[in-house]
Amino acid sequence: MTANARFLVSLLARAALAAALSAAPAAAQQVTLERDSPLYAEPRLDAAQTAQLKQGAAGEVVGKQGGWLNLKTPGATGWLFSFNVRFPVQKAGSGEPGSAALGQVFGPRRTVNVTSQIGIRGLEEEDLRRASLDAGQLKLLDDYVATKPAAEEHARAAGLAPAKVEYLDAKP
Amino acid sequence: MTSSVRFWIAALGFAAVSGLAAAASIDLGRVFGAGKDLATAASGLDENDEIAVGREVAGRTLGAAPLVADAALQSYVNRVGRWVASQTERPDLPWHFGVIDSPAINAFAAPGGTVLVTRGLYEILDSEAQLAGVLGHEIGHIVRRHHITVMQKSAVISAGAQLAQARDRSLLVGNLIGTGAEIFARGLDKSAEFEADQIGIVLAARAGYSPYGLIEVLHKLAARGSEDGPLALLFKTHPHPNERLSELAGALAPRAAALPSGKEPGIRQVSADMPPPAATTPVPAEGTRALQKEEASAPPAVPSGGGSGFGLDAGGVLRGIFGR
Repeated sequence: MTANARFLVSLLARAALAAALSAAPAAAQQVTLERDSPLYAEPRLDAAQTAQLKQGAAGEVVGKQGGWLNLKTPGATGWLFSFNVRFPVQKAGSGEPGSAALGQVFGPRRTVNVTSQIGIRGLEEEDLRRASLDAGQLKLLDDYVATKPAAEEHARAAGLAPAKVEYLDAKP
Repeated sequence: MTSSVRFWIAALGFAAVSGLAAAASIDLGRVFGAGKDLATAASGLDENDEIAVGREVAGRTLGAAPLVADAALQSYVNRVGRWVASQTERPDLPWHFGVIDSPAINAFAAPGGTVLVTRGLYEILDSEAQLAGVLGHEIGHIVRRHHITVMQKSAVISAGAQLAQARDRSLLVGNLIGTGAEIFARGLDKSAEFEADQIGIVLAARAGYSPYGLIEVLHKLAARGSEDGPLALLFKTHPHPNERLSELAGALAPRAAALPSGKEPGIRQVSADMPPPAATTPVPAEGTRALQKEEASAPPAVPSGGGSGFGLDAGGVLRGIFGR
């Protein structure tokens, strides 16, 4: 195969894949309920409750909005807060049902740096204990500092509106 | 030697250690006045000391893993971080943020205002709200002085010359600095981590982001499991992500309705020109590889089976849910 032909084939393969991935959120992610929780008709606490799920109940996530997940169970569909569920641990290369499919369904970001983890270790205790100060890197760190106005400009451009929210441990 | 001579030697010693010209003006007498016990003396460290110690800790951490050579990325993370830090009661600390070139999945908060996120962690994030949550957690450690407090206790307990240390601030600061980046290897107690999680949620919300970014990241970490190599240190030094999620659920449930929904802007990608982060100790093994630029738009690798590692980008499996 010529280089051009190879390029075309790879392009077509990717286009097909992109189409598959952009099709509706296909197979859903299985989760289990960490605690008893109601399902709401909409992602709002004042919405009607469509079901009351028990801890350990299973369901499929079919959508997400902010902190809410849209869950489909055998008996009902509705919304609940994401902190009420647990996702299964992805077993390493186990071929565990769902694990390969998940890789297909929950596609990567535009660019990825997928690194297989075998034998790779990150920054560990010994590295931190042994490390000596790098003055050049500290200087670089200084160079990248953002001023308060630059940070505010970033927030404005991103459409971020500051909100008044008390710390969760604040006394009411 | 008179006490005032001792004072100036100590002050100059501290200035040399901290590199802060203003350090000599610190009123050591106030901190280490006669009759103060060790604990009081230690807790008397002021903000300049905290910054000096933190700078040394940050410098050593950078000695272990340098900044990713992507200036636009580093500036971006500083703008986001500074915006989140501006929502705290310590908005004017010398805030520094950086992405360090390590495949580990972790983040570090050095006292006095420096937050370092590993590239391994950065690359599993899908939105700026998730980044804000992670930075908010680390900023929480700094604002509440979690690490410096542990370092102080440890320095006071372990120092042989406790009395000398109590009288000589430079000895104490030097002792804290001696702890270096090791503090990150030891970790904090659980309550400090839970507290930082709650602060991360709140700071993200105050900054206008979805408060739930940090929860999404914790779900991702939980799904990777404790046997994941790059997560080894994080799992060792932090409560299990599921435990953190449960704590957050307890704290959030009563207030969830009151939290603003916020925004989830896209996150800046690491420059495609950057090679993947080098493992600290690369151990080539069958199946070990990093997807290069040309594969960037390909699907995640499907587990080949039989290996002990992750055949797929396990941090990305929740992207369909927690992605953009």
